[in-house]
Amino acid sequence: MSHVESNDPADQTLLYCEKPEWQDVTPIPQYDGVNPIAPIFYTPEYKDATEYFRAVVEKDEISERVLQLTLDIIQMNPAHYSAWQYRYRTIIALKRPLEAELTLMDVLAIQFLKTYQVWHHRRLVLTALYESSTSDSASSPSSNAAGAAAAAKELAFITRALETDTKNYHTWSYRQWLLAFFDDEALWEGELPYVERLLEADVRNNSAWHHRFFVVFGRVRAKGEVDLEEVLKRELSYTKDQIAFAPNNPSAWNYLRGILERNKKPYSDLQTFVEPYTVPASSSTDEGIVDLDNPRPGPGAQLPCVAALEFLADIHEKAGGEQTKQAIEIWKSLANEHDTMRKKYWEFRVKEASA
Amino acid sequence: MTAVERNWKPTPTDGVSSPTSTLQASTEEILKARYLSVTLNAASSNSPPSTPFEPTLHKNSHIQYLLRNLRQGFPARYISQAASQPWLIFWTLQGFCVLGVGLDGQTKKQAVDTLLAMQHPEGGFCGGPGQAAHLLPTYAAVSALAIVGQPGEGGGWDKINREKMYDFFMSLKQPDGSFLVAHHAEVDVRGMYCLLAVATLLNILTPELVAGTSEFIATCQTYEGGFCNASFPGWAQHHSSTSPIDPSIPRPPLGEAHGGYTFCGTASWAFLQPYIKTSYRGSGNVKPEVNLKALLRWTVQMQGSSIELGGFKGRTNKLVDGCYSWWVGGCAGVVEGLIGEGVGKSEDKAHATDVPTEPDGEWDDVDDALFNRRGLQEYVLYAGQHHAGGLIDKPPKPSDSYHTLYCLAGLSAAQHRVQPSSSRRETLSAAWTAHAEAEFDGLRKEAFISALSWVEEEGASLYVGGEKNRLNATHPLFNLTVTHSEGIMAHFYRQTIPSRFTKKST
Ligand SMILES: [Zn+2]
Repeated sequence: MSHVESNDPADQTLLYCEKPEWQDVTPIPQYDGVNPIAPIFYTPEYKDATEYFRAVVEKDEISERVLQLTLDIIQMNPAHYSAWQYRYRTIIALKRPLEAELTLMDVLAIQFLKTYQVWHHRRLVLTALYESSTSDSASSPSSNAAGAAAAAKELAFITRALETDTKNYHTWSYRQWLLAFFDDEALWEGELPYVERLLEADVRNNSAWHHRFFVVFGRVRAKGEVDLEEVLKRELSYTKDQIAFAPNNPSAWNYLRGILERNKKPYSDLQTFVEPYTVPASSSTDEGIVDLDNPRPGPGAQLPCVAALEFLADIHEKAGGEQTKQAIEIWKSLANEHDTMRKKYWEFRVKEASA
Repeated sequence: MTAVERNWKPTPTDGVSSPTSTLQASTEEILKARYLSVTLNAASSNSPPSTPFEPTLHKNSHIQYLLRNLRQGFPARYISQAASQPWLIFWTLQGFCVLGVGLDGQTKKQAVDTLLAMQHPEGGFCGGPGQAAHLLPTYAAVSALAIVGQPGEGGGWDKINREKMYDFFMSLKQPDGSFLVAHHAEVDVRGMYCLLAVATLLNILTPELVAGTSEFIATCQTYEGGFCNASFPGWAQHHSSTSPIDPSIPRPPLGEAHGGYTFCGTASWAFLQPYIKTSYRGSGNVKPEVNLKALLRWTVQMQGSSIELGGFKGRTNKLVDGCYSWWVGGCAGVVEGLIGEGVGKSEDKAHATDVPTEPDGEWDDVDDALFNRRGLQEYVLYAGQHHAGGLIDKPPKPSDSYHTLYCLAGLSAAQHRVQPSSSRRETLSAAWTAHAEAEFDGLRKEAFISALSWVEEEGASLYVGGEKNRLNATHPLFNLTVTHSEGIMAHFYRQTIPSRFTKKST
């Protein structure tokens, strides 16, 4: 039995029940004495490998050959979480080189991008790699050189994976975990430019918007480390520009709301900016006036924009008093004209404000 | 036959094309074409002219599809689901329940035996025999047993090892109040939902089990209002070695707001209310908060426009998909229930005549849901059905078990209104039998009553396509019928549940 796991087809022509080195194991069928309802018809290869896997689990065997077995099963069914779990235990118990495991998993991760387990396995291996390289539990992950190097390599791998699927949920979630866990300035540094590249390619990529929020506001910083007012100014300016570029983009509006809420700033701060987006395009052109703080809708803008109307109504509602009527007018126009699918919701808003 | 006027306005792109808008536009073309072909086919076949076209739920072909899966099993491409076998069974059985199909004793027995073969000796259920225990198949298996099981010999319910199940749950618990979905596996809001649903059904909820879990769920709400899969605990844990978690240090959400996680986060929040109600009072601990208004906003924003046939998306700027009919459409009802309870609504909704009714008046009464029930039903009926049986994400995808159940459950959630009822709550409370030796009676009584006070509002159903498309109502938190939820809970809480159906007084 070779030490290195193989994807060599010659190795895979034999079933486990035909392999001489597995003759000591008695395979365990899936169901014993039960005629299962709604069964899956397995291929001979899958049935064979998983019967041996059950036997291995039963014996609690930790061995090199288990690594090949789990890899075979994972390749046939990457969602087989027990095979992943067993593989992880085995790697740790046998003290296998963890970098090699990550490299081996690179191909699988790209191939099975949408599977939870491929990403979680990387996380486990990376954490173990970091922990094995430090015995001093007081140090933070970033103060560990080997850990930081592995994290930087991993970040580059994630970037490649996201090229295949720019909105892959698990990949994004994993990227955010990596940044937070290693919390290394060098890792964080490139994130904002990265987000901007992605939003340049697709201003509607909500995963990239969420990542921006995570990068800008998710990180724990010491007091005084960043000037929050400056950050907010920069974010408002960036978001307003993106809204001007493509106004009917709920991702950008949600981000705008998010940063205001997060920083406890009133929506009314943006009334001047928002108003041109709430009226039909023709009436919103004041040629010659350029206000950098309040970029106007771009040439192709389809107005009025539903998200802008909603935003303006929120400003009016918050102000209360006479302005409540204006909010109600807007909600009614959303309910009956601009956003009729959400009629019930806008009517609910009217009812709440009138109560 | 008259064509129904429909707004085919595409999603505005402001003259800026991007990969998202290109994919969106092609999807809108597909949905529009599907709608037109369904209505056109109907026009050319039989319906008399001038009758407005009403879409049909092809119940029989969906029942045949489910029956084939149940009896003949699944082809080899379902190997990808071999670690989700209790789910395949649950999706199929619950599909029958929603469609109103009863199961014979032999089938039930066979299902019980199959499910019990997946119980792990150390507690919980596995994705298949001989696999590791995992929270997700545990929910699926227990829910499936709620459908086919019963007390006593061979019934399955008494074979569920609740003590070991509890130990398994506790072995997954993390210092931040969350749970791994399995040993060496990830933390994920789906797992929390599965654990809380099972603990509530089986009467194994304790303060110890859920301490810190509400706080964790609250940290998974993103700036968009929906929930993500998990939050990062590290900073809060690093900075405090004595207490497990420092509430003043942020635990940022990992991943964006997402339909599946939002359902799980919202339903978990509902399941945690009994604990929050009974444990924070006077404890000095700060009650965790979820922004329900933002959650409601996000939920209704996920409903696609007219050209998207009113289906739901799972994330901002993504495509509509039949399974979000349940994960988001169904969630809207849960959010509404939570909001209603939050503002201390004391009477059942049977009044409110002061708001003007719509001119067409047929379904626009004020007790209506906050999402577009008609829209959602249309999506499932026009875009969600496969001609060969079973339901789908969107055309031209093939049908599968998962989409079959969640399209049907979503359609059901749009047909019926199942909401917390204060009068049902009173009835259950009055009928509660305290057992002398029962632990945590306050918490468990509240969990029992709180879950089972969700009942269908009478006279609030709406059937697009007519009564022939009617499905059974499903409990918004469990996705079991209310009858099955009551049955298994009555058994494990040792309660007699008063009938929901009022006798007609003559
Ligand atoms: Zn789907």
